[in-house]
Amino acid sequence: MIHRSETLLSGLIRIDLLRRIVRLVKPIRSAELRRACSAESRREASHFVDCLQVRILFFFFLFTVEIFTQPGNSNLFSAGNRLKFGNYLFSQNDYLRAAEEYRAYLKVESDDTARFKLAESLLRIDRFTEAADHFKGVFFSRGLGDYARLEFYKALFLGGGYVRFRQTVNQENYMPDKFSTEVKRLGMISYFFDNSVLPDSSEMFHYFDDSVKIRIRKFYLMKKFPAYKNPLKAAILSAVIPGAGKIYTGEIGDGITAFAATGLLAFLAVDNFKAGHNFRGWLFGGLAAFFYAGNIYGSAASAQIYNAGIKFDFNREVKLYFEKRNYFLPSIDFLK
Amino acid sequence: MKKFFALIIFFVVVLHAQTDWVRWSGAEISYEIKKQEKKNYAIGNASPGTKFLSGIKNAYYFLISDLDGDNCPFYPSCSNFFVASVKETNLVQGGLMFADRFIRDLNPIKGLNHYPFYSNGKLLDPPENYTLIFNKITYIPGGIVVGDYDSSK
Amino acid sequence: MLNFDYKIFFIFFLILFSKLLSQNQLKLQLDYANNLYNSGQYFDAITEYKRLQFFDSSKIFIYQSDYQIGLCYKAGGHFDNAVKYFSLAEMNSKTYQQKFDSKIQIIRTNILRRTTDRALQLLDSLDNSSYFETKKDTINYWRGWTYIFADDWKTAALFFDKIDAQHPLKKLCIKVENSKYSVTFAKVISYILPGAGQIYTGHLLSGFLSLGWNLLAGYWTINSFAANRIFDGFTAGTLVWLRFYRGNVQNAENFARERNIDISNKALHYLQTQYEGIKP
Repeated sequence: MIHRSETLLSGLIRIDLLRRIVRLVKPIRSAELRRACSAESRREASHFVDCLQVRILFFFFLFTVEIFTQPGNSNLFSAGNRLKFGNYLFSQNDYLRAAEEYRAYLKVESDDTARFKLAESLLRIDRFTEAADHFKGVFFSRGLGDYARLEFYKALFLGGGYVRFRQTVNQENYMPDKFSTEVKRLGMISYFFDNSVLPDSSEMFHYFDDSVKIRIRKFYLMKKFPAYKNPLKAAILSAVIPGAGKIYTGEIGDGITAFAATGLLAFLAVDNFKAGHNFRGWLFGGLAAFFYAGNIYGSAASAQIYNAGIKFDFNREVKLYFEKRNYFLPSIDFLK
Repeated sequence: MKKFFALIIFFVVVLHAQTDWVRWSGAEISYEIKKQEKKNYAIGNASPGTKFLSGIKNAYYFLISDLDGDNCPFYPSCSNFFVASVKETNLVQGGLMFADRFIRDLNPIKGLNHYPFYSNGKLLDPPENYTLIFNKITYIPGGIVVGDYDSSK
Repeated sequence: MLNFDYKIFFIFFLILFSKLLSQNQLKLQLDYANNLYNSGQYFDAITEYKRLQFFDSSKIFIYQSDYQIGLCYKAGGHFDNAVKYFSLAEMNSKTYQQKFDSKIQIIRTNILRRTTDRALQLLDSLDNSSYFETKKDTINYWRGWTYIFADDWKTAALFFDKIDAQHPLKKLCIKVENSKYSVTFAKVISYILPGAGQIYTGHLLSGFLSLGWNLLAGYWTINSFAANRIFDGFTAGTLVWLRFYRGNVQNAENFARERNIDISNKALHYLQTQYEGIKP
């Protein structure tokens, strides 16, 4: 679970220590040393003891270091450990928990990278307003400032207030020097996501690469001239021939059914009037009129639903297209 | 094709949205088996017209609809659609919406991937989509199964 | 001489102490997380178990923490995540008891989310394993619960009977099974006499109204045919009589099913709120 290099390091320290201990214990156990330490050569022995004491002191120092560097031994909730744990959670996509760790860490330490990652965590769990605020805190960082500004704009964009987003883009107060094209392009993309009046096509295409221009042009035309059906036209068609309006909006089955049902009831009405069954004549006639009127109404409604479908499909296609390409924004290396 | 896209969107959403991105707390999961929702016999305390209409609806439910089997392939059912339409608009427009719905019900090939499905297997066809107010339309591609459509919204 | 040895022992003691201290810290963290779990703060408990796992470099507590995280998710109703962590616990188990415990938890989660087939499949694998010969009672117990949640009380009773002929859950299952209505019987008698199935399931008014409509529509149809009004007879027969006859059979079936669900739910409610044995 711990960062691999750290485990490796502590492992190496341990191996090293063991080797030293073995070296230390061996001479003591050996008979030569016992003799050396006997009365004949007290001086050498005392020298050895001095050496040993220094060695022991050295080892004691090493062990204390080891005790305190071992994360298990120090406080799990220390600032440094919070940061480590937060980074781990971030790498596991557990962003809410990561954000909590970064928050606790930032109470003690001031660290732009951690604040950036806190903001990024919030951005990734769709808490856009908070994310934008935290990115603002990194605007004047030397290495991260431009990235923070870029992500700030992304947070505003994903937050969905496209009009305000475009205003902020146009004011250029927070514009990152490095990524101004990307942000302005994002401003153009945002026009596909709401109902504002589209900018001039040359202005729009200016920000996109030649390789995607065809696709963007297609979206632009689809947005500007959507293939809508006119509800009034559908209603008039159905008034002339029952069901024709529905066929116009693509509901062929409904159209034929409407024609058949209205026609049959009208025929029954006429037939009954001819046969002198006035009550039945009025009954079927009334029903025919009811269906006739309902179908005119329904044709207009059907055209609207058709249009809603066109809009829905367009929005989905645009969303998938840009989402898949991360809105043509660069990916940030140190977050990987 | 639409179905395919819907599936993709579904998976993207499911894989992305993680349980722990929002705080949650313990939940008592009931052992009991879920039952089908009951018909709503409650009479609204709105206008006298609505009360009268609800009275007729209840009489229809009690004397006919409850006894002649499950005939309507739509959700909400035709009678509920009528009542909801009148509540949503007025008696005349509601009547026209009902007439249109009746014709669509007669269409023998209506189940052919045109409507989305409600979770009880019926074709989802909410009255809000037929009020001629464009922004009220909730468009759902045909063939998709929708979990819980809230008709009170 | 002794002096050296003493100092060297001191060093060994230090090593030992450092190891003990580190374990002790982790143990404290485990207790802290367990406290959160016991007080119902499942989300925070998961954070602390994850922290424990992260700093537990020698993976001493990996099984416990995975298992507990599974329990947290289960308590929050996030069954998919629960199964994921119980499976991790099973992978990290060190004894057969731990392996068994985590597997049983996976089964219990499957019971709760009513994925009966998966639960039975896992129970079969436990049954076929030679390591768990002594655990047959536990396996049968959870088999019984699986069938209870699948609304099959008869089979459930069979497995509780294998544990103990006087098992309280066996008695409950048999009681539920016996008080259920027969759906087939309700349908058949409604075919013969419209409304009879409804009356059998206690819906008297609906039964009599059905009978009334069928008699009326039948009279109308036959009368029309008798008077040689074929069109009317045909209309009444298909649009009215057949409709109410079919509706009558559907109602009989639905009422019987509803009654049975009510009976099951009453028993399930008792099991959830009052039964004192282990529950999924």
